Amino acid sequence: MKKEDFVIVAEKINKIYGKKDTKVQALKDVNISIKRGDYITIIGPSGSGKSTFMNIIGCLDKPTSGRLYIDNKDVSSLNDNKLAKIRLEKIGFVFQKYNLIPTLSALENVSLSMSFAGVSAAKRVERAEKLLEKVDLSHRLSHKPSEMSGGEQQRVAIARALSNNPSIILADEPTGNVDSKSGRRIMDILEEINTQGETVIVVTHDPNIAKRGKWTVRIHDGVVSSYANR
Amino acid sequence: MLIDNIKLAFKNIKERKSRVFLTLIGIAIGIMSIVALMSIGQGMQSAVEGELSSLTDTIIVTTGNVDASPVGGGFTGGGYGNFFTERDIDDIKRINGLKSVDPIMFAPSYVEFNGDVEVITLLGMNAESMSNVFGIDFLGLESGEFMNTGDQNKCIVGNSVAHKYFDTEIIVGNNIKINNKKFYVNGIYRKQGAGFSTQTDEYVHLTIRDFKEVTGRDNISGILVRVSDVGNAEAIADEIEFAINENHGDSDFANAITMTSILESIQSVLSVISVFLLGIAAIALVVASIGIMNTMLTSVIERTHEIGIMKAIGAKSTDVMSIFLTEGIMISLFGGIVGTILGIIAGILFGMASSNFGGAGIPIEPVISIVTIIISIGVALFVGIISSLYPARKASKMSPIEAVRYE
Repeated sequence: MKKEDFVIVAEKINKIYGKKDTKVQALKDVNISIKRGDYITIIGPSGSGKSTFMNIIGCLDKPTSGRLYIDNKDVSSLNDNKLAKIRLEKIGFVFQKYNLIPTLSALENVSLSMSFAGVSAAKRVERAEKLLEKVDLSHRLSHKPSEMSGGEQQRVAIARALSNNPSIILADEPTGNVDSKSGRRIMDILEEINTQGETVIVVTHDPNIAKRGKWTVRIHDGVVSSYANR
Repeated sequence: MLIDNIKLAFKNIKERKSRVFLTLIGIAIGIMSIVALMSIGQGMQSAVEGELSSLTDTIIVTTGNVDASPVGGGFTGGGYGNFFTERDIDDIKRINGLKSVDPIMFAPSYVEFNGDVEVITLLGMNAESMSNVFGIDFLGLESGEFMNTGDQNKCIVGNSVAHKYFDTEIIVGNNIKINNKKFYVNGIYRKQGAGFSTQTDEYVHLTIRDFKEVTGRDNISGILVRVSDVGNAEAIADEIEFAINENHGDSDFANAITMTSILESIQSVLSVISVFLLGIAAIALVVASIGIMNTMLTSVIERTHEIGIMKAIGAKSTDVMSIFLTEGIMISLFGGIVGTILGIIAGILFGMASSNFGGAGIPIEPVISIVTIIISIGVALFVGIISSLYPARKASKMSPIEAVRYE
């Protein structure tokens, strides 16, 4: 398989927090390659290094050592502003607690990251409307987060994640804060997005959700192992 | 991006209306004082310059023991004591660069109107000089007009003389008797009131020729000299003093005051007042700036989670920074606009109050210029930038991971 086919390549990634006596090694020599268009679930108990791993592949944090390639670009030693650009262009985050901006409407929340990317106002609105339609929220365009249910807010967050055409959708416990019906709906949407060619990574502690991925990555004490589900 | 930031700032300001309003008051007070100060200052300046600059070619010569006052002729009392002589006049006339030299005389007289008789001081002066010195805007006539050179048996009466001295009020066109000679009332002065040492309210003004005729006196209490070149006024004033002092053998006999020097002293007083008021404005603005900084810091801390979200979804440090800068600047600009409006109102109120004092000073017409508005808004902008720079920077430096976790 050619290198261009991988959207994420991690080589011997280590993450160490603290210094000397208080040193904690959150990740140990992690090697992983994720194909474009793949559907990966990451599972592990809390304190396993799962969050650290997610932060690093989401370019929110930098590895202590090792190399990380996103779309064949070495991002392991980029400065904060360049990492922000990678997050903006390559990664679409979906958080457990939705993390929408409370003062902005659904439409404005989806437009916000496009405004950071310098997309014109007219195009932003057009695209945000299309994305919200895709997650069945055409009737909620001008609603604020506080006026929507958890499931609806999470769907807005998915629309936002898609807004800048990212290479990866990175969802951290996307169903953790919603009821099971809404949770199934959200997982269906993520899977639909994956079938349209998007790389989807879902972090979870729920084995039933983990099973839905084509691959599952298990993290335990900072060590990564992976297996195929189908 | 800027428009987006402004929209975003609007939303956030709306969320915290009362806090923003309180912050706004500080900056509004600061800007209000600047605007009021500048408009009143410019008003004073233009009042002083506009009214008095027509007199800048004038030198007033008084004897040393007579009080000299800047506006409106500048001598009190009748000048009973030291007088100038014809020789003084001749000596002054010999100085080069003069347009005119006019004596001013005072004498008490009996004025009769409608059967009543009152003792009133007369002022004698060349007709043209009279309209120059007393005709300036805030002195001026209430009715009628000044005399022309060559007019005879005409007079101008002071406001109190016309309205208070006699049982019947004098109006323009009446005839009064001065020392038993009939005079036509050609004009009535406006009320000057207290605070002005002018010779109008309680006086009757005549031309020099009529004055000499009805009083039989020719004691010169003051001399009005006009120069051709304003630039030489100071030097000529010195020359006049020297010449007259020599005539009388007294180094303090004469006092020659130029209008330019009077203007300069008024202006220096104005500038001291302005500096003082500007100091107050500066203190208000410093306090306001701390207020904005405080509000913005609170806002940054409250919105830590939001900042984390924005950074996580790809906002650069500069994006976050400009969002908070815009918000701080907008609060400051709102304050600036409110302050400007209040300042204009304060200036207008001050102007109204100053003219209601009944002539206790020069009436001030506040001048609200574009420059004043640009400066005040500019200051508000500057204060906004300075005071939100630190909070905005603090926001932009936040780590996205920690900020997102912050609840």
